[in-house]
Amino acid sequence: MKSQMFAIIKKDLQGITTNKRMFSTLLAVPLVLSVFIPTVFILVLHFAPDESVNLQKLLEMLPINELEEDLSLSIIGLVLNYILPIFFLIIPIMAATVMSATSFVGEKEKQTLETLLYSPLSLKEIFRSKVLASFLLSMFVSAISFVAMLLVVEAETKLTTGGFILPDMKWALILILVSPAISLIAITLIVRGSAKAQSVEDAQQRAVFLLLPVLLLLVSQFTGVLFVNVWILLALGIVCALLALWLLRKSMDDFQYEVLLK
Amino acid sequence: MNIVTLNSLSKTYPGGKKAVDSLNINLEKGEVFGFLGPNGAGKTTTVKLLNGMLSPTEGSCRIFGIDPTIAPEKLHALVGVVTEHAQMYQNLTGIQNLVFYGSVFGLSTKESEKRGLDLLERLELSDARDKKLSSYSTGMRQRLSLARSLIHRPQILFLDEPTSGLDPESAQNVHTMIRNLAKDHGITVFLCTHQLRYAQEICTRYGLMENGRLIAEGTFHNLRSSVYPGMKIKLKAQGVPSDLPCRKIGNLAYEVEIESEKDIPQIVRKIVEAGGEIYHVSAELPTLEDIYFTLTRKKEGSI
Repeated sequence: MKSQMFAIIKKDLQGITTNKRMFSTLLAVPLVLSVFIPTVFILVLHFAPDESVNLQKLLEMLPINELEEDLSLSIIGLVLNYILPIFFLIIPIMAATVMSATSFVGEKEKQTLETLLYSPLSLKEIFRSKVLASFLLSMFVSAISFVAMLLVVEAETKLTTGGFILPDMKWALILILVSPAISLIAITLIVRGSAKAQSVEDAQQRAVFLLLPVLLLLVSQFTGVLFVNVWILLALGIVCALLALWLLRKSMDDFQYEVLLK
Repeated sequence: MNIVTLNSLSKTYPGGKKAVDSLNINLEKGEVFGFLGPNGAGKTTTVKLLNGMLSPTEGSCRIFGIDPTIAPEKLHALVGVVTEHAQMYQNLTGIQNLVFYGSVFGLSTKESEKRGLDLLERLELSDARDKKLSSYSTGMRQRLSLARSLIHRPQILFLDEPTSGLDPESAQNVHTMIRNLAKDHGITVFLCTHQLRYAQEICTRYGLMENGRLIAEGTFHNLRSSVYPGMKIKLKAQGVPSDLPCRKIGNLAYEVEIESEKDIPQIVRKIVEAGGEIYHVSAELPTLEDIYFTLTRKKEGSI
């Protein structure tokens, strides 16, 4: 990777982090998802009367081998290891959507795209810089959300049940392989859409109305995978990573300056 | 050796408009080429074709032997471009913008900053270095764009109306800078402008465009000779002999058409010998503006 590409990545990231209102919104929504929702769940579990929900039956229906002695701890473990990982497939995509949707068309509207195209970087290199900038942002937001979630869930578990529940192996796979790979696919497609779009609104609508529902549908299917097998998850992660790299390599093959500036 | 070569370069836009029609131009190192013409003549399209932003529909061009449609990024490392649509970031300050573009061209941050500060000083923008671009006036932005185009020490500059929006003093300063870049550093300049008075001051050669076609090309002397083979002198005198081919244009004021400056002493002698008195004699050389309008009118007449 050329050092000049880092200049674009740094500039794009600074553009979003120096816009305090935008950046706080970007952080707030993932934090609500990863902190607020598990908190509500743990509190409901703690305060709801035992007989109102037959959780034991629910647990028996699920394909989980090892259950904790404490029912509440088992339920929290279920949420932590089977439900919350799905959020971490959605959070990075959500965090990167705005930035990646405006990546090219935003520059075009501000009349800075032509200046960037006069640089000694090829179109592919500019494209990859844009994708990487959004990807780094998404991974940063994802990491912050994970740390916050883990701290809050563990603290609340300790307070309500007196015990601890640790994240299992699947978390590592999700955070290191599956989530980055799916995010990279989404970001590459959204940035590509941005290069084709005529206005920022056009790019955002494309990303939100066309791409996101499809991606979220795919992501939601992962809940089932989480219950089945770690190896399937690993295989899926590798497939997604390969697809992401292929997309990143091939995405700008048919693009020319003339098309971008139109 | 030719640095820029345009070979029957043509561009027809998808709507069918032929913006550039069979251009043939060659530029050498250190030339300041004035590419003149009204709005819509095809000047900006030519600059975009020369930098690979547009692909020609016919013909080709080479800059330093590089075809811009094949390896634009290699070419961009050698050229600096200022056009109306190549703006910079509003949320960054003047120096931050220059450091960013310096880094994109492979300069280190320290080097970009040093070079940026030097350029800001030369373009009288030192006081605004830490102000955001959003607070810059049109003229300041234009000068910062010029600084941006020079940050990586290019060997050729493509400047599309670099002094539009500048006050006369700043425009003069920018033109002096352009002339010095060509003279002292051997930078080739492709200058698109319709400010003919300034062009006459700094360009070494000209190309006149109209409706996508190059209607004339050459040095000022070449163009003048092709349009006005002779010259005019203005006289203020009393007792001008009637056999002199003078045209009276006012009280004691006359205009005489001659072939060259060599004819002036003879005319003066004739008036003095006839007992006349001369108060004023001046040679009227056509300006680039005169030549431009004569050429464009000639072209219209021929159509």
